[in-house]
Amino acid sequence: MGLSDSVLRHLREVVDLPDLGDTRYELQEEIGRGGLGVVYAARDRQLDRRVALKVMDAAWAGEARLIARLEHPGIVPVYETGTLPDGRVFYAMKLVAGARADRYVAGNPPLGERLRVVQRVGEALAYAHSCGVPHRDLKPQNVMVGRFGEVYVMDWGVEGVAGTPAFRAPETPLDERSDVYALGALVRFMLPADAPPALSAIAAKAMSNGREDRYPDVDAVLREVERFQDGLAVEAYVESTWQRVRRFARRNEVLLWLLAAYAGVRFFLFFVRSF
Amino acid sequence: MWGDADTAIGGNRDRFPSTQVSLIEAAAGEPLAMERVAALYWKPVYKFIRAKFRKDNEAAKDLTQGFFAAALEREFFQRFDPSKAGFRTYLRLAVERFAANQHEAENRQKRGSGVKFAELDAASVAGAGSAESPEEIYSQEWRRQLFALAIEDLRAECESAGKRAEWDVFEAYDLADGERPSYAALARRHGVAETSVTNYLAWARRRLRGLVTDRLRGVTSGERELREEMRRLWG
Repeated sequence: MGLSDSVLRHLREVVDLPDLGDTRYELQEEIGRGGLGVVYAARDRQLDRRVALKVMDAAWAGEARLIARLEHPGIVPVYETGTLPDGRVFYAMKLVAGARADRYVAGNPPLGERLRVVQRVGEALAYAHSCGVPHRDLKPQNVMVGRFGEVYVMDWGVEGVAGTPAFRAPETPLDERSDVYALGALVRFMLPADAPPALSAIAAKAMSNGREDRYPDVDAVLREVERFQDGLAVEAYVESTWQRVRRFARRNEVLLWLLAAYAGVRFFLFFVRSF
Repeated sequence: MWGDADTAIGGNRDRFPSTQVSLIEAAAGEPLAMERVAALYWKPVYKFIRAKFRKDNEAAKDLTQGFFAAALEREFFQRFDPSKAGFRTYLRLAVERFAANQHEAENRQKRGSGVKFAELDAASVAGAGSAESPEEIYSQEWRRQLFALAIEDLRAECESAGKRAEWDVFEAYDLADGERPSYAALARRHGVAETSVTNYLAWARRRLRGLVTDRLRGVTSGERELREEMRRLWG
């Protein structure tokens, strides 16, 4: 007698469930499954609160601890790490209520809000890079926009992670410069269909196939986005004269109106004195 | 208990060790490598051949046996390049090539001798009427066989370690095909506390996971492929 489909299905389910008997957590439901492991919602019995519990292969233990040390407003705080009786490792972290970036964008937020999300993601990435930790799998599904507007970058990758095709740089292995590519892909994803060409150009430059053709780091991408928001020219986009004039006019709108008003008054006074 | 009369020529599974070396080590001269591969892959290959090439039971058995025999002779492991594909995919593509060649040769012979090629009727074709592709059947049988082997390992371990009660509870609950008994009923049947049923099941599942991993380690090229296969197994 072989294993029937229903027994096989049952075994695959129960054998994969983490045995939390020796921990303070009580399993509730699976909330996500990725390349590195499975994320469950669980209840912390001691503090009577819900947490997210990520369970991963023991091979990731060292790097999981490294990720757990990252402390930044854009990175989900880790409460505790531990090892399950079967050798798998887990970390308990804040359970974020909100929407993933792909669903957030589907709600058609204004451009300024979209760019704010990109900025927050970039800041979290830049901080992690300064600690020597690349993400390696940045994509909208790994960005959470909380209900108070907070932005979290989740699912930090580890050495050997495969990445996600549309957001993955062509090189192997993936590193900080590959995150620049993924950030570019995220910018492109976050932009509306009628996005200004300068923003699309920033995304395209960050996503260059050649590593040397990209921005040198995440900060450089963020500076470009800021320059766009400040109405300045961006490095990635060569403007026509007309575009330059329009951008100048938009950026100095108040000043130009004041000058026009001043010229109007002078013109008026010139005529009054002439008569 | 977990064998299958149709495919019972896959070798004696008890010979395979539960702690296994990787395929790379196997290629370097570990003698049980092909037997270990055959123990896990014989049935998936057989089912794949039946579904893909519409062979009946005996013809599919012959082709499967022929494939593993040819693989032994043709430096099968040495040709495997983990950077191009996982071992499971490599083996399936090799089977496909082998069976297609055999199938073609068979047809040529039949045409040459004036014998009309008789198509099998749909009822004799494995997977007929199923929406699953041959590749899906191959993957599903791979999972099934992997668990079946690990369960055999678990039973052997329980017997040698004096964990009869753990095995009995696990078999009665997790291997039940149909309605599962309640923990309370199991506790009464085996004369143990209900918490013991919970603990026995937790232990058996944990061990089974470890044994599945061991079996997989024996047929993958290294840690990276092992992790990818684990992900596919549970995903």
